[in-house]
Amino acid sequence: MPLGPEQTVKTGNRRKLERTGTIVSGALHAALLLWVILGDWLFMSKDLPEVEIAQVSIMSESDFQSMVAAAPKAADTPVETPPEQPQPAQPEATPPPQPETPPQPVAIEEPLPQDLPVEAVPQPLETPDPVAPIAETEQPIPAPLSSERPKPRPVDRVASVPVDTPSDAPEVADTPTPEVSDQPAPDAQIVEEQQPEAAPEEATTQIVTEAVETEDNAPQLAPTTSLKPRSRPAQVAEAPVEDPAPETPPETPTETPPETPPEDAVADAVAAAVAEAQDPVADAVADAVAQAAADSAVTSDTGGQGTAAAGPPLTGGELDGMRVAVNACWNVGSMSMEALRTTVVVRFSINPDGKPDAASIELIDSTGGSGSSVTQAFETARRAIVRCGARGFPLPPEKYETWKVFEIEFDPDEMRLR
Amino acid sequence: MFKALSPVIALATAAFVALTGLSTPVAAQEPPRIRLTDGVIEPLPFAAPLFVAENGGAGEYAAQLTGVVAADLSGTGLFREIPQSAHISQITGFDAPVAFADWQAINAQVLITGAVQASGDQIVVKFRLFDVFNGQQMGEGLQFVGTPATWRRMAHKVADAVYSRVTGEGPYFDSRVVYVSESGPKSQRVKRLAVMDYDGQNVAYLSDGASIVLAPRFSPAGNQILFTSYATGFPAIYLMDVGSLSVQPLGQLDNGTMTFAPRFAPDGRTVVYSLERGGNTDIYALDIGSGQVRQLTNAPSIETAPSFSPDGSQIVFESDRTGGQQIYVMSAGGGEPQRISGGEGRYGTPVWSPQGDYIAFTKQNKGRFHIGVMRTDGSEERLLTSSFLDEGPTWSPNGRVIMFTRETAGEGGQAQLFSVDVFGRNLRQVPTNGPASDPAWSPLLP
Repeated sequence: MPLGPEQTVKTGNRRKLERTGTIVSGALHAALLLWVILGDWLFMSKDLPEVEIAQVSIMSESDFQSMVAAAPKAADTPVETPPEQPQPAQPEATPPPQPETPPQPVAIEEPLPQDLPVEAVPQPLETPDPVAPIAETEQPIPAPLSSERPKPRPVDRVASVPVDTPSDAPEVADTPTPEVSDQPAPDAQIVEEQQPEAAPEEATTQIVTEAVETEDNAPQLAPTTSLKPRSRPAQVAEAPVEDPAPETPPETPTETPPETPPEDAVADAVAAAVAEAQDPVADAVADAVAQAAADSAVTSDTGGQGTAAAGPPLTGGELDGMRVAVNACWNVGSMSMEALRTTVVVRFSINPDGKPDAASIELIDSTGGSGSSVTQAFETARRAIVRCGARGFPLPPEKYETWKVFEIEFDPDEMRLR
Repeated sequence: MFKALSPVIALATAAFVALTGLSTPVAAQEPPRIRLTDGVIEPLPFAAPLFVAENGGAGEYAAQLTGVVAADLSGTGLFREIPQSAHISQITGFDAPVAFADWQAINAQVLITGAVQASGDQIVVKFRLFDVFNGQQMGEGLQFVGTPATWRRMAHKVADAVYSRVTGEGPYFDSRVVYVSESGPKSQRVKRLAVMDYDGQNVAYLSDGASIVLAPRFSPAGNQILFTSYATGFPAIYLMDVGSLSVQPLGQLDNGTMTFAPRFAPDGRTVVYSLERGGNTDIYALDIGSGQVRQLTNAPSIETAPSFSPDGSQIVFESDRTGGQQIYVMSAGGGEPQRISGGEGRYGTPVWSPQGDYIAFTKQNKGRFHIGVMRTDGSEERLLTSSFLDEGPTWSPNGRVIMFTRETAGEGGQAQLFSVDVFGRNLRQVPTNGPASDPAWSPLLP
């Protein structure tokens, strides 16, 4: 039966494979024969070094015992001491702090070393006379005036063409203006406002002494006395009007607001009317008038001279924002120790743009310090208000009537122990 | 009858007043108030432009004076100088108007302007101080007159005035420090008395090193120095006049006794010291004028390192009567002492501050030495330093800074002077000519 085309191809492939296997087998056998014949010549091994042979002598037991008996005792064996390692400072072994304890006399027999300072001969120290007739009395040096920025000259020229006075009525555009969305356009570029470079206003809020610092790194040090835990921030009433016990002392009744001239007129009239009466009547009337006037004065003061704090109260967050803003500029680093124990309460007016009126900053209360420390604490507080208020305090404009007069209590006592 | 009618009239009058509008009809709110307790602690930025040289000879002093003033203030750690290269405005004349806006722009909170005149043997220095952000001058201008040799003191005077006006503290720049200058190898150290300005300048030596000296102390007037010397082979206290360098022993130099740790009373007429006799050490008081000696303590333990309170009514000292060294306070006339130190470790070398509010001390605990302060009743103990060996605190005249000896470990260890403020800030080394120890601050110079 004749083979089909597919079977013919398979038979041809099988023969080709058998022929290839024969060739590979032959080549491998030839290579093996060549390696056997030429291997010794091509891969000649190098001569190994000769083995050293030690002469061994046999020791008898008696010789061994006699050698052991002659060996030195363990105590006599010189112990090889390890090289001295540099020992860390042993604080326990250091001399105790006895600079004032009786020192032992030490005789100095050797000549003085050569590295003495140049001036070997003691020289009389000039008596600390008043350096100079230093004029401790303050010299009346007049203060210079602050340089004023040049003011623009008043323009006295008048435009030749009359200009229409701008009307208050808004112009109506011909085409409707598209409504402005609160959301920024997706492709809008946000341009950040360039802030002028300035020196950092805050360096640190806490100073770590060497003792504390070392303590942190070396637990073997002595613990210092633990500081008292910081008190929680005082709760500030969001609605000061509801405070039943206002801390602000009322101003003296002598500062009667000018807006109330009837007070004086009526008081004068009443006083004049009762002047002719007998003393008991006059006293009673005067007391009543004084009480009424005092009530009026107190009300005027706590209300910010009759005009302040008439708006909605500030929220806790708004007050916190103000607190953070002034804290950043309240630098107590240069205050005296006594001033650090002095608390001052400062009242000041704020302009609608949020900037404080520096001239209005006044001290209304203080506790815990003498006159000079109060002055210094107040100056530090005033500096903080002016510095941090230069860009305007973060207060809501719609509540201006509430914060147009503001009070801050500066209490540095907790800062003293940091 | 008027008495009977008086309440009626009063009520009627009150009603009249109310009706006529004396009272404000609507009660207004109080201004909002916040309480601040968390300020910042940072050096106060100040600007000290070059003092104006007002005549030809003043040029060389102007820069030096300005530099010393700025260095004094910056060295306190309470002030930070804004470099002159950052100044926008220039001070061209002492009476020229001040452009506060320019100084505000560089965040200078304090501005110091000054001028110098030099003619012949006289220098005149004047200055003004400005609160930049308030746009006001702080105090009046001040003027000092001196000789060229005292220009550094004049600069210290200016810095003192600035420091006091800004901080409210007393000054301390125009002061001196007496100390023990050390030289030679550690095993054969030569110790001499030396005195320098508080900043390490103008060093002068008061003794020649022939005998070991220890623990010098200035008198309240600054014209005498007490110290302990081994001139006789044993420690004894001596009194030196700093003007003539004349030295005289204080008290009787008995054989078999040792006297040491002297310190003046605030009136300068009494000296308290320790006397060791027969292995027992107690505190004595000596009236310098009469030579009368009074024993203040009588205990078998070691009582030493006495220091008067500023009012002279009490003495603080160290004693090991309970085993370890602790700090005690007793009346200036003696009596039962009261222990005020209560922490771990050993306490020594107590020194009462010039303000009377703190006591500085040396503390050894767990292998470390500390300089610390505590209230006079032992409360508010605060450790200011920590090292291998810190000891011997001394107060600055204003009670704000403490200087002490710090010695490094090892054979090559040396004693150096360091200073730190009472809050533990601004730790820095005081420059000296070689090793130094046992500092004692003088009172403020006149």
